[in-house]
Formats: sequence, C-alpha cells, structure tokens
Amino acid sequence: MMKSSVGSRFTSFLFVIPYLIAFSVFLLFPILYGVYLSLHNFELLSVDHDFVGLANYIDIFTPGTYTNSVFFRGLWATFQFVIYSVPLLIFTGLGMAMLVNALPRKIRGLFRTVYFMPYALSASVMAVIWLMMFDTNAGFLNSLLQKMGIAGIPWLTATPWAWIALIITTLWWTIGFNMIIFVNALNEVPEDYYEAASIDGANQWRKFIHITLPTIKPVMLFVMITSTIASFNVYAQPFLLTRGGPGDSTKVLLMNVLDQAFARKQIGSASAMAIMMALLIIIVSLVQMKLTMAKKGDK
Amino acid sequence: MRARKIGLVLIASIIAVIFLIPLIWMLSTAFKNDFEALSGQMNLFPIKPTVNNFVQGIQGEFMNVPIMRWIANSLLVGVAGTIIVLFIDSMAAYGLARLNDLPLRRVMLPIFIASLMIPSVLTFLPMYMEFNALGLLNTYPALILPATAGAFGVFLLYQFFVSFPKEIEEAARIDGANKWHIYARILLPSATSIMVTLAIFTFMGIYNDFVWPLYATSSPEMRTITAGIAIMATGSYTQSYGKLMAMTTIAALPVIIIFIVGQRSFVKAITQSAVK
Repeated sequence: MMKSSVGSRFTSFLFVIPYLIAFSVFLLFPILYGVYLSLHNFELLSVDHDFVGLANYIDIFTPGTYTNSVFFRGLWATFQFVIYSVPLLIFTGLGMAMLVNALPRKIRGLFRTVYFMPYALSASVMAVIWLMMFDTNAGFLNSLLQKMGIAGIPWLTATPWAWIALIITTLWWTIGFNMIIFVNALNEVPEDYYEAASIDGANQWRKFIHITLPTIKPVMLFVMITSTIASFNVYAQPFLLTRGGPGDSTKVLLMNVLDQAFARKQIGSASAMAIMMALLIIIVSLVQMKLTMAKKGDK
Repeated sequence: MRARKIGLVLIASIIAVIFLIPLIWMLSTAFKNDFEALSGQMNLFPIKPTVNNFVQGIQGEFMNVPIMRWIANSLLVGVAGTIIVLFIDSMAAYGLARLNDLPLRRVMLPIFIASLMIPSVLTFLPMYMEFNALGLLNTYPALILPATAGAFGVFLLYQFFVSFPKEIEEAARIDGANKWHIYARILLPSATSIMVTLAIFTFMGIYNDFVWPLYATSSPEMRTITAGIAIMATGSYTQSYGKLMAMTTIAALPVIIIFIVGQRSFVKAITQSAVK
C-alpha cells in the first residue's frame, strides 16, 4: 500500500460508512433493542415499562402459563411443518433437477423456467392463487374431483388435508430454488466418472448411489440447511391459507409470536419468544453446518 | 434410448402442466364474471369473457382499494431500496476488499458475514418499535430502509472485488487516479453483471416481501401491493375470485417480467450463494 496517512484512512472509511450506518441502525441496534424489550414488561399502548429481568423467558418455560402454551404449541406446529416439508423439498428438488438434466439440451431451459417461475411470486399472490385452487365449493381441485365422481376435500379446514395443502403450496412455490441449485451441482460432476463407471458395467442406479450422491453431498447439505431454516421461518402459507386452522393445528410459532406482539400487545413477552425462536434457528443451522464441515473433513 | 427420451419429455411436460395450472387458472378466472368464477364449471376459456375485473380493479372501484397506488408504492420502494443497496453495498465491498488501510477491516468483515445467519424474526419486533419511536411507521422510509441492512450484496461484491487483478488498479493509481476514481471508473464498471444480479435480487426481495409492509403500514394509500393483497385475502372478499385474480395478475406481472428477462442473472446469484 502507498502512504497511509490519517487522511487516507479516513477516505477509506468513508466508503464503508453508509453501509455501516444501515447495518448498525437496522440490524445491530434492533437486535440489542430486542434484548432490552424482552427484559421489560412492555405493553404496546402503555407508558410504563417495568424491568422484569428474565421473567418473560421464565414464563415461556413455566408449564401452565399462557406464553408457555402458545410458544410450545406453535413450536410443535412449526416442527411438523419442518418434518413434512424438508425431505420433500430436498428429494423432489433433486429429482426434478435430474429430470431436467436428462432432457434434450434444447428444451432444458424451457422446463427449468417453468418449474422455477412460481418462486418469483410474492407470498400473497401465491396464497390467493391457492385459496382459489383449494376452495371447497368452486375451487379448481374440488371441481376436478367432482368431475371424476369423487367427493370434494375440505383442503384448508380439516387435518391432515390442511398440512397437505400447505406442503403442496410450499413445494409449488419454492421447489424451483432447490432444483436450480441441484442442476448446477449435477453439472459439476465430472463426466469421466460416469464413463469410467459405464466401462465397469455400472447401471444407472449404481452410478447415482456411488458417483452422483457422494459428489453432490456438500450441495445437498447446503440445500438441507437453507430449506430447514426457511421451513422454521414459515409464516405466509399458514397465515394466509389455513389461518392457523383447523383449530390452531397449523398455527406456527411465528404466527404466535406476532399475535402476542400485535393482537395481545405484549411486546416484551413477544420479544422473548422471538429471541428463543431465533436462537433455535441459529442452533439448528450451526449444528447442520458443523455436520457439513465434518463431512468435508472426511473426504 | 429414443423411447426413454420421449418418456422423460412426457413426464417433464406433465409436471410442467401441473406447475402451470395455478397460473393459467389465475389468468382464466381473471376474465370470468363472479357467477362463472364461482360456478365450479371448469372452463379454461370463459363462456362470457370480461375485462371488467381489470377495469374495475385499475379504477379502484372494486372494494375501494387503490390498486394502482399499491403497485406504484411497491415499484417506488423496490427501486429506491435497490438503488441504495447498490450504492452502499458496492462502496463497502470496495473498501473491505481493496483498501488495506481501512480501519477495523478485520473486525467488520466477519461480523457482516456472520450477520447473514441472523433470522429476520430477531429484528422484526424491535425494528417495528424503532420505527414507531421515530414516528416513521406508515411512511416510505419504513418500507425502504430495513432492506438496506442485509450483508448479502456486500458479500457478493466483496468476493468479486477481492479477486479483481491488482495490476489494473496499480496502473490507474500511477496515472493519478484516487480511490473514488478507481471505485467509480474501474471497479464498478467491471462489476456490471454482478450489480445487475444484485439489483434483481434486491428488487424482487423488497417487492415480494409482505410481512414487514403488512405491519409497518396502516393506511390504505401506504400499502404495498403484496401487503394489500394479503389483507384482501384474509378479509371478507375472498369469494370474488374473478376480481381477486385480476388483481393478483396485475401484481404478479412486474415480477414475472423481471424474472423472465433477468432469469440468467437470478440463477447465477443463487448458484453463487450456494457455492460458498
């Protein structure tokens, strides 16, 4: 580097300052402020905000309290969504990527675009489209079933249909993202691996198990992490489609956190719930990252 | 072998039709009157096609919602947010990647990268309270500024700038170019394609976000199109499918156009973020 006077260092710092301000004001400060809120009895419309220490956190873990019940019932619904959706998001994504890659080169782009297009839509557009598809009386799916002589299904108002409906919309909306990542990973598998395996007489299935899977393992773990995080954060689908129903069986944790904050106006308690939820997501992603690192170390 | 290929194309086509049905049905329903939309008849082409749903939607006669204002709001905050992100992220990335005398460089970079892992639920409520305290809820800044804090763009551009050949920069410096010149005339023009990628990503992120605008706005004229549609979807109008579909069609149009035009950049951004 050339001279590094105070003036030069200051000029250098000027480049970073605008982003640093945005980062501090809209990311760093809110995190700290959230911790502050969670330690107070903070009601949205009241003026007194008493310091209550860890009481909001203790409440979450004390059986029988309201926060305890909404937190853990919400967490259970979120867990169910994660467990139903993540394997499908990974394996359907991989399957579609393999399908696209097996197509004649000329038409690959077309199919990739079609499968990926729903990903560009906003949550609310996606939800309104599917509200119409799932409508009990006039919806596309039930009209189709009736034409086939099958009774209509209460898609959004009975379990397990509500979960099935949420998973269908989630797959339709987001699977393109995972597919794109897998298409890219599959293209990076060296062609001569397959050729060598063919010479050794390996069939398609063995090639898949012994060549494709090991090679794309890091990408699979990446997809697993991003899909898990996304599913933990699920909100739009149940909020707009089932509205948490039937009962509150699909009312996921984030819905309960926002209800606690805006419907019940308990910002302090809601902040504690949000922090616990965020910690959980961070822990899950750290564990999965550790697994990725360990797997990479093996190779 | 040939039969297998045809079989694969057939399977791929069936899946494609399944993927397209919701979108085709949206379009088809948007041209139906309420009676036909609710009849349960499955006409792909409406018996009596009507553009009334669009006309009423655009003129704001339907449900009294100013849909064109919502679209304008979304475009405005999307474009403004994107411009800010492009500027501040590229400057920061240049500083972090190329300016060795930048104070705290070694501290900032890991913090920015670590921040990529922070779930948005952690900042949502305090950010709401922050904007509330500043009196900025229900304003454009509330819809624009939160999107400028993400480190994704800094990280994306940092990776590009850090591998940019040193010789070109050195040559420019010998010719008397200062840091601003090097940033604005050499590095920025060389990063055009990444900037386009970042622009598409950022714009679609802001345009499509609905949870934050839903809570950060309260008056009808400040809603974004996604928040507005979310409110209609959870309101009492869900039975007017023809009109709802006309609105979602209008709302989806800008992103679908951007998606199809910028698909390459978009795909590149996703795969780049996955490589890491």
